[in-house]
Amino acid sequence: MSNFRYKVGPIAKCVFQTQSPRSNLWCTLMQYRFYPRPTSFPDYFQNPIFRKEDQAKLIESNELTKLAALPVKPPAAYETSSVYHDPLVSKLINHVMKMGNKKLARNLVEKAFENIKRIQIERYHLATTPEEKAKVVLNPKDILHKAVENSKPLLQLLPIKRGGITYQVPGPITEKRSLFLAIKWLLEATNDKERTIHFPEQFAWELLDAANNTGKVVKRKQDIHRQCEANRAYAHYRWQ
Amino acid sequence: MLSRNLRFLSRRYSQGVTFRTTETSPSQQNENQIGLFYTVNNDVCKQLFGHGGLPKSYMKQTKTFTETSLMVRLPALDIINCIKATDFDKPVIRYMLYGEIGAGKSLTLAHLLHYAYEDGYLIVHVPWVSEWLRRVPRHKEMSNSPTHEGLVDLPLDGAAWLLHFKMQNQVLLKKGNLKISKEYVWSKREQTPEGAPLAELIEHGITRVKYACDVIDALISEIKILSNSKQCKTFVAIDGFNTFFYPLTRLSTPTKKKVTPEEVTLTKSFMELTKNDWVNGVIILTADQLGVSQDHQESHLPKYLLYKKGFEHIDPFVPVEVGRYSEREFMSCASYYRDRLWLRGPRETEGELKLASACNPYKFMELCAPL
Repeated sequence: MSNFRYKVGPIAKCVFQTQSPRSNLWCTLMQYRFYPRPTSFPDYFQNPIFRKEDQAKLIESNELTKLAALPVKPPAAYETSSVYHDPLVSKLINHVMKMGNKKLARNLVEKAFENIKRIQIERYHLATTPEEKAKVVLNPKDILHKAVENSKPLLQLLPIKRGGITYQVPGPITEKRSLFLAIKWLLEATNDKERTIHFPEQFAWELLDAANNTGKVVKRKQDIHRQCEANRAYAHYRWQ
Repeated sequence: MLSRNLRFLSRRYSQGVTFRTTETSPSQQNENQIGLFYTVNNDVCKQLFGHGGLPKSYMKQTKTFTETSLMVRLPALDIINCIKATDFDKPVIRYMLYGEIGAGKSLTLAHLLHYAYEDGYLIVHVPWVSEWLRRVPRHKEMSNSPTHEGLVDLPLDGAAWLLHFKMQNQVLLKKGNLKISKEYVWSKREQTPEGAPLAELIEHGITRVKYACDVIDALISEIKILSNSKQCKTFVAIDGFNTFFYPLTRLSTPTKKKVTPEEVTLTKSFMELTKNDWVNGVIILTADQLGVSQDHQESHLPKYLLYKKGFEHIDPFVPVEVGRYSEREFMSCASYYRDRLWLRGPRETEGELKLASACNPYKFMELCAPL
């Protein structure tokens, strides 16, 4: 039963949430930590609201007075009100991290951003007309957002067993899982490299490729979409 | 219309603060230009720093920024003013640049080198002493010195340095009025006659790498003689001078014996040059924590880094501290980065970066990189 809910729950959620603005959901997904195990905090502890913009929004909508009386979890070390805090970047760092070595992971991601910046600034200087110059995206974080947006799949294939045969059944995908897959694919594409090329360099190229809607990751996404399209005949197995 | 667009675009990330000065000659710069950037001409840059001299991370920046810009800072101006007021008949004055890691010692030295170049000095510049004594690549060449008993030669490094010297002083050397004072006999068939131009001596060192270190030794004594006789004025700049006094080098002889700095011929030559027993010259040295091993990096002060021996060697010297950015310098640097598209984002970023980098120039540059 619980297994069933795991499979259906997210889908239903996804269907409902298609009307709500996507960016809003994006923010909520990124901002709150997900605790896999019970924490020392009881349920009624609220997630911290650490961004100044969010706090201003709360004050505006008069919800702060409600929250003021409730206990709040402490923010994590990476949840800061810094100007250059970006939830997607901190999520990405967590995905790059191995064995809890966050310092190294952060360094690698920052180096990749630096490489992107250098490549883009060079392109900017090479461009001759102002129109071309204006087209070059110089902010590495914009490029990351674009790349992740471009490599997020819209459908997924679920293996479902019917009559002794496992069918690859296409189905909708939750926002959260598609984000996970996008980041995972980007990192897998990066790690598939020559031994002599370093991670930051390769990662920079992959991100630039994906932001440009080309490259390995986007191709992988399109392959999944194509397979979903081919397997549409099995779609009814999802509920039969 | 097009030009207006261009102007608008180029101003897209810059702001009102002035951060550039058109005064490109270091000898003309004054206190009004502190904190402003001036651009070094590309040809000059290639000639002065073509074979090293600028830090690697800075070279990367010059490529991205498509120009070589140096900030006019107080230590450099102070030293330039001192040099202008120096009586060149008195023994040479030694200046010691010191400061934290990343404070800009090497770039101050680069600024001073530019001044020396414009003023027509004969430049004796060692880009980074650790390159000789502490960096051991796979094909580090070492040989026992044929002339000095018990000492070690670094022929390849010596030849590379001679090339660097030749490149920096090509204008002076081409004139050919610098002659050597005595005959040097290298082997049965090779010798440099008395009265030959200095360039010939250098050329010999570069082509016959075996003798490079001996040539450097000879070259330095010749330079001293030439300066003493007022034929040229000499500007000595040594980056990471304290490495000469660290008890050990990373080198070891084929018999696995550790080499001390005093056992390297290059050290001996440059020790000779940094004594103040000659006139008509300027000596600028830097003490750098990165030049020694990690267990001796606790302080950036010269007394600690040079040990007693080094301190006594250069004893009457002028210490010049290269500090962190002041408020004005920081703002000017930030707007320069904005102009070069290196820094982006809202205005509050500067405040945060200032706190995070503690106004350390290198750290500031590093923190800006991923933004």
